[in-house]
Amino acid sequence: MVPMSGTPDPVVRPEPGALPSGAPSGTPSGILSGAEMPRDPSMPEPVLSDDPEGLLGAGALRPVSPRLIPARYVGGLIGSVIWVLLIIGAIVSASLSGMWWIAALGLIPLLILLQALLLTPRRVRAIGYLDAEEDLTIASGIMFRAVHTIPYGRVQSVKIDEGPVDRRYGLAKLTVSTANGASTVVLPGLEKAEAERLRALLTARGIENMAAL
Amino acid sequence: MSRDDPRAARPEDPVGTPVGDDPEAVVERGASAAGDTPVEPGATAERRRTHPITPLVTGWKIVVGIIAVLTAQNIARLADDFTLQRALIGLGIVAAAVVVAIGLSAVSWWYTTYAVDDAGVSLHSGMISRSREFAPRARIESVSVERPLLARLLGLAKVRVEVAGGGESYLDIEYIRSADAEQLRRGILGVAALAGTGTEGGAPAGGDAGLPPSAEGLPAADAPAPADGDAIGHRLDDLLHDGVTDGELIARIPTGRLVHSLLRDMGFLLGVVMSVLGVVVAISLAIWQEGFSFAVIIALLPTAIAIPKYVFGRIESGWGFVSRISERGLRMRRGLANTRTDNIAAGRIQRFELRRPLLWRGPGWTAAGVTVAGIEDSDEDGAASVLPVGTAEELRATLGHLAAPLGTADDAATIERMLTAPARDIDGLRTSVRAFWIDRRTRVSVLLPGALVQRSGILTRRLEIIPRERIQELTVQDGPLARRLGVLDLEVTVAGETMTLGELPRRDVLALHALLARDAATLRRYRDREHWPRPALVAGAPEAGTAPTSAGGAL
Repeated sequence: MVPMSGTPDPVVRPEPGALPSGAPSGTPSGILSGAEMPRDPSMPEPVLSDDPEGLLGAGALRPVSPRLIPARYVGGLIGSVIWVLLIIGAIVSASLSGMWWIAALGLIPLLILLQALLLTPRRVRAIGYLDAEEDLTIASGIMFRAVHTIPYGRVQSVKIDEGPVDRRYGLAKLTVSTANGASTVVLPGLEKAEAERLRALLTARGIENMAAL
Repeated sequence: MSRDDPRAARPEDPVGTPVGDDPEAVVERGASAAGDTPVEPGATAERRRTHPITPLVTGWKIVVGIIAVLTAQNIARLADDFTLQRALIGLGIVAAAVVVAIGLSAVSWWYTTYAVDDAGVSLHSGMISRSREFAPRARIESVSVERPLLARLLGLAKVRVEVAGGGESYLDIEYIRSADAEQLRRGILGVAALAGTGTEGGAPAGGDAGLPPSAEGLPAADAPAPADGDAIGHRLDDLLHDGVTDGELIARIPTGRLVHSLLRDMGFLLGVVMSVLGVVVAISLAIWQEGFSFAVIIALLPTAIAIPKYVFGRIESGWGFVSRISERGLRMRRGLANTRTDNIAAGRIQRFELRRPLLWRGPGWTAAGVTVAGIEDSDEDGAASVLPVGTAEELRATLGHLAAPLGTADDAATIERMLTAPARDIDGLRTSVRAFWIDRRTRVSVLLPGALVQRSGILTRRLEIIPRERIQELTVQDGPLARRLGVLDLEVTVAGETMTLGELPRRDVLALHALLARDAATLRRYRDREHWPRPALVAGAPEAGTAPTSAGGAL
């Protein structure tokens, strides 16, 4: 186990001095070897905090609008109704047929419904983003958490979506894609003005810092 | 998309400014291409048709396809009730199909035109629904000449223009005469080179920027191909050598080494042996169960064809492989039945992958592959394989010309050591979890000043090299198990590929993430500063008044 500390000591050293220069003698020289190396002033500070109690990188990130919580509840209304109907159906058929175990079939919809109701606020609070000096960081997820970092110069396209529910709550969804092709990074629950600001920032910084593939 | 905004605001130089590399906008199809780009090729260059024999070649393929599908499904029944009359009727139908197919192909040939000028390459096709495809010169990634067997016998070739982006991002000009194809390839490469270096921070004025030196050979510029007296001699020469003759020789693979390398590739051998055994067992089982019948053979026919096809594909991908370095990148030729010539520019390479199977360690052979944005090759025999099986010397030459420096004192020796040394002797990042003992011994990631390298593989040693300046996106993945074990996954994405550094200590991943994020944001930009029209683009449209520009000024 690696000891966790608030400000980890960077161990990655970029200068050419510390490289295996072919090493025909077979003596491996360290590039990334242990914490005994002196701290390199040119190393950037890790942006993502790693608090053992908190979420990865949560410290520095900005949260999205809390209005996303009711928006998600409203958006999931139809699904919730279906689950509730399934639960009711299971109970009713159990009482009609007299076979109690049929009611157990309602457990799965109940679990899905409960986790959606209980965890949505935490999930929304776990979404975070940071438009830093050089790159955009977007994080989401509680248990399985992914933190994406995209340099401004690599952004290929920016899209803003407003669904009917989102529009009611004054929210927008930002989709950022890179030349990677397959995957896009989605940031939901931005206030409209904030989404516009991010889009303008990404476009402007993208042109300024444009880098080839 | 928003990236198009500044471009739409400045229609006066749509081609000289490579605005990003938006995969969506790469091959602009339909009428929008003409609308966005007033200087469409064809406005200044003469539109040309492909070779008149093309309908025969393409129509023939359609007929063969139809016959193959029909007979494959019904061959047992056809063989059972065979009469002369039916055979004649069948032949008549086939003849009619041939005429119709060739007629249709002829119509589509008539409406297919291409043009090349210094704005790019355009291809128009279709009679009823007309399509206009356009590859702007700034997006042209590579140009290859392919010669399928039939076309090759007729002295024809296909020119494929690959542009950056995913999916079907290429234009095929098929078929034209081999000599023309070579010239066309050179001409298009000349146009593409114009985009890379010739713009000098600004867009050329209109469409009459100076033609590249090689553009004399451009069909658009002077239509008749060279002196016709030599044509036959040239064609013979082309058939034999396919034109990869100029430039410094990088690698040449003798047939003996190719065959040896296949015999020493355990994965390949095992695959072939197992599938042959499978087919034999299946056939004998079937015969044992129900006696000999035609249907069993037919059912297994696809597999029986697939095995030789796979073997042949592997042989073909390295047969007669020659690579030479020219000023436009690495030129490669390979192939037995279908020869293909590819061109890969060093500046377009996103990632390298070196492979050394167990039995190649003795002779020190290595296979090298690259990832290039725009070249989509799922199989191994495409342009992505820049060295099917090379000696240490050839690997050194290939990487020396293609790869950006790794930043070590002796790059070739470093790579050789990372391929030969046992992974646990290589200093670098490895997983801290003792339970993953195979990973601990075989997988190690090393950060060099120029690249991030991951060594993996138990028997077949694999080296993935991602230049640090090419990184597009970084993703840190966390999960409940990872949290318990104190590890994190780092995904490093370049255009077209993602490399996963799995289960590394959390602290190291976060430090590496910060460092690579800085590299991704800055390295490439500093290097390209001279080449890209950044000031021209930003300063050229201050009055455009679009939302992004004005917001950019405020920020």
